[in-house]
Amino acid sequence: MSSTPGATAAASSSKSKATGSSQAPEKRKPLFQKELQHMMYGFGDEQNPLPETVALVEDIVVEYVTDLTHKAQEIGTKRGRLLVDDFLYLIRKDLPKLNRCRELLAMQEELKQARKAFDVDEEKITSLD
Amino acid sequence: MEVDLTQIPTVEASDREKKVAKMHAVISQFTEDQMSRYECFRRSTLHKSNMKKLLESITGIKNMNNDDPRLSVISGIAKMFVGEPVETARLIMVKRNEAGHIRPCHIRESYRRLKLQGKVIQRTVPRLFR
Repeated sequence: MSSTPGATAAASSSKSKATGSSQAPEKRKPLFQKELQHMMYGFGDEQNPLPETVALVEDIVVEYVTDLTHKAQEIGTKRGRLLVDDFLYLIRKDLPKLNRCRELLAMQEELKQARKAFDVDEEKITSLD
Repeated sequence: MEVDLTQIPTVEASDREKKVAKMHAVISQFTEDQMSRYECFRRSTLHKSNMKKLLESITGIKNMNNDDPRLSVISGIAKMFVGEPVETARLIMVKRNEAGHIRPCHIRESYRRLKLQGKVIQRTVPRLFR
């Protein structure tokens, strides 16, 4: 059987950590357990997913986010800061994710504009008084 | 009903309306079971605060702004990524004629397949003889 993602996660992060965690296993406090349960149900699992499964998926996701962020940082340091575009560049071949990110960014912009307009209106009202 | 997502480059306003209309047509015919599952799918998110902690610990950026676009983008990407092993695990279970809860062995097998398809980020993999 191939090595579990938990083992590969320990291996990949022991490169970045100063203390080589070869003896004690990776101890990550569960970050996303409750939300992940709902999410997995939404994606196809049973109403209450098995806790081992949720823990495994969380390890996989955290490892994915970590690796993605590291790669984005490598790209970002070449121009100075870590920008959103670095993430978008790494996702460029995955069209569903890319389109979803574009939607999210567009929605954020809309919300910002709406809030600005709201603040401007508030000022007008208070200044008239 | 399969949609080839690779052939939809951008979504324009009229397309969006058509999409929304299509979705309404599909959603109106959901059973209760499907409806609750779809609700969970739409509503579930990974908490921004946890993602912020994770990003700050990885990047070393201190005091990340709460409406940082990077946060939203990463949360969106991570949510879609959760779907990939879960859906692949379901396919594996169908092939093996198993039903019920998804077990870690299914997730491991689907993770292995995703790696082969290159859908999982790999750092410094020495690509010899490929």
